[in-house]
Amino acid sequence: MIVKKLILIVFVSFLACGVLNAKNFMKKATVTPVLVQKGTQKNWCPVCGMSLKMFYKTSYTAKLANGTPRQYCSMRCLVVDMKEYGLDTKTIQVVDAQTQKLIDAQSAFFVVGSKVKGTMSKVSKLAFKSKDDAEKFVKKYKGKIVDFKTALKMAKNSLKSDIAMIAKKKKKKIYPMGKKIFAKMCKKDIDLTNYIEINELKADIKDKKLCKHLKEKQLQALSLYLWEVKRFGKVDKAKETVKVTKDEKCPVCGMFAYKYPRWAAQIFYKHNSHEHHYTFDGVKDMMKFYFNPMEWGNYKDFNKKNITKMLVTDYYSQKAIDARKAYFVIGSDVYGPMGNELIPFENESDAKNFYMDHRGTKVIKFSNINAKEVYKLDE
Amino acid sequence: MKNKINLYLIEYAINAILRQKAKSFFIVFVFTLLTFLLTSVFFITSSLKYELDATVDSLPQIIVQKIKAGRHYDIDEDVVDTLLGIEGVEDAVARVWGYYYFANAGVNFSVVGLNEYEKQYKNSFEKIVKKIELEKDDKSFMVVGRGVQKVMNKSYYKEYFNFIKPDGTLKKVNLGGVFDADTELESNDVIVMSKDSAREIFDMDEDKATDVVLKVANPKEVRTIVSKIKSIYPDTRIITSDDLKVSYQNIFDYKSGIFLALFIVSLFTFFIIIYDKSSGLSSEEKREIGILKAIGWRVDDVLKEKFYESFIISFFAYTLGVGLAFVFVYMFQAPLLQNIFVGYSQLKTDFELPFVFDFQTLFLVFFLSVPIYIGATIIPSWKVATLEADEVIR
Repeated sequence: MIVKKLILIVFVSFLACGVLNAKNFMKKATVTPVLVQKGTQKNWCPVCGMSLKMFYKTSYTAKLANGTPRQYCSMRCLVVDMKEYGLDTKTIQVVDAQTQKLIDAQSAFFVVGSKVKGTMSKVSKLAFKSKDDAEKFVKKYKGKIVDFKTALKMAKNSLKSDIAMIAKKKKKKIYPMGKKIFAKMCKKDIDLTNYIEINELKADIKDKKLCKHLKEKQLQALSLYLWEVKRFGKVDKAKETVKVTKDEKCPVCGMFAYKYPRWAAQIFYKHNSHEHHYTFDGVKDMMKFYFNPMEWGNYKDFNKKNITKMLVTDYYSQKAIDARKAYFVIGSDVYGPMGNELIPFENESDAKNFYMDHRGTKVIKFSNINAKEVYKLDE
Repeated sequence: MKNKINLYLIEYAINAILRQKAKSFFIVFVFTLLTFLLTSVFFITSSLKYELDATVDSLPQIIVQKIKAGRHYDIDEDVVDTLLGIEGVEDAVARVWGYYYFANAGVNFSVVGLNEYEKQYKNSFEKIVKKIELEKDDKSFMVVGRGVQKVMNKSYYKEYFNFIKPDGTLKKVNLGGVFDADTELESNDVIVMSKDSAREIFDMDEDKATDVVLKVANPKEVRTIVSKIKSIYPDTRIITSDDLKVSYQNIFDYKSGIFLALFIVSLFTFFIIIYDKSSGLSSEEKREIGILKAIGWRVDDVLKEKFYESFIISFFAYTLGVGLAFVFVYMFQAPLLQNIFVGYSQLKTDFELPFVFDFQTLFLVFFLSVPIYIGATIIPSWKVATLEADEVIR
């Protein structure tokens, strides 16, 4: 009886496991992970700071030229470190996604592009020691089997777009979150120059209790903020919108500029040690004025040489940006208050994206704008 | 000095009104009823409109829901990462929320999970996370609306509340605070707690969320962003605040149709009365004017007296009507009439009509009624007064 019951229990639990596995693939380690680095910092990836346990099934180990062991959360971080320090390729080991043991990366089979989401990359790359396991995995989760070299090449090629993808998320979400956590939970005298890698910082926050108790996700957000913003100053200051008062009229078209805050543009100039400014209801009018101010009235005081700054409103973020560093899209299907417009963007990638989305005809920088093209917009 | 109000004329006008008690009373009654009906309906609509605008403005610009088999389903939290990558998206927040049925009192609470370190999608939530820590020393705290507090108090939950999780076990959440009174409209049935606690109560996976809301800096880009999301996640339903506005507006307009019918009927009645009055004076009134002229009144004296008379009556009735409408709508919350607009929880079931004082409405009703009535009294009197006195009396 007991034996029968035991068999039944084993069978049922086996079934349950099978069902659970089929449901979704977990990158988290289900065995005790092998961590090769030293100290408390061994828990985290030295490049991005993510938890190695959480992403164990996509993690790698390697040795630097001087023999220091390193462990990465993903191939993406491996590639980053490779570029920076030049790793000994022979020492690269990877975790087998099936057995969760470290195996030699060179001889492993890699499944790329499966349904499993990639770690810090759009495409996931999972390693298997035996081809059988890899094929079984492909059956279940789709994808393609390649060797290490091909997988590495893919990771190198996609590195730029992967970094861009994560950078946006960090800027919009993680840094502000980290900033709030830092303000609320932490001692303010953390000396960031003491650390060479982000995982050392994380280890110290935890070991020396620099902050109150944090969950892993919060700790990661905090560390990224401290590391990338406070130490390396990656994000620029919070920008403001173009400020327009209610009585300001556009010198070119005579319309009140405050009614169109989404298109506001300003030129600041110095005259007799005072700073004055004109506000326009669009870049087009600002450029018309810029090319020939006297055409629009008696603006003798204004001289191109005295311009201190020119502000335009970024189409996506609606924040004030420097016109002379901005990118402009011409000929799109988006109209401003005065019809066709030059649509300003802070980043070239944003401008190109807008150009594709809204059927623009051209992306140009400020210095390339000429009067002829501006007037052509009115036709 | 000529323009000085003649008090004797006013006295005469008041006496004239009192002399014809039945007639005056009838006119005041009809007039009051009309202004009352019109103004109360206008009050209700402007209140609802205000409420509607406030609700719609506080809605997120884009809501992304996962749809599976035609039903709303939990969405992966890492969808947020992809959505943040779309140009023009300023912020994306994975919301965790749902309804918790409290069987003891037979009511539903709206449970909302928040991450204190995130940017909140509602200002009232931003205030809460600034004031209260939702997780402290392994204890969970919640902030509740006033309605929720009342219900909990009745069941003797004063410092904490035990939520029953789907597996039957309890989750104890301490009371951390109560919503400010000024947000009562939106927060009456709301319980705010940390995302982790909310997930625990709803038995949701850690990497799942109810839906995702997006903030877009430039409203012009909303359509482009929606079409992009649709192509990245074909299994989602995307609701923009404009969609919501339209559907709210549709309900509202449909209800307004009923009001229009009411409005036309009452206006029609009013004009019939006016027509009846202006088509001629009774012989008694004619005789009165004749006698007045015979004893030496000039035409403009007669007209002035008629003006005072009609003005006193109509203005009195108008003020009475508006006053009654005020009391009816804002003190008694417009029983019966409100149901025309609000019924069947299509807009929002339990709420008070916010006080909105709309001058335009009052002027509209005033000019629709008082001058017309005065005109309808003076014109026939003028016709009679210009005739010779003996012709009229004869």
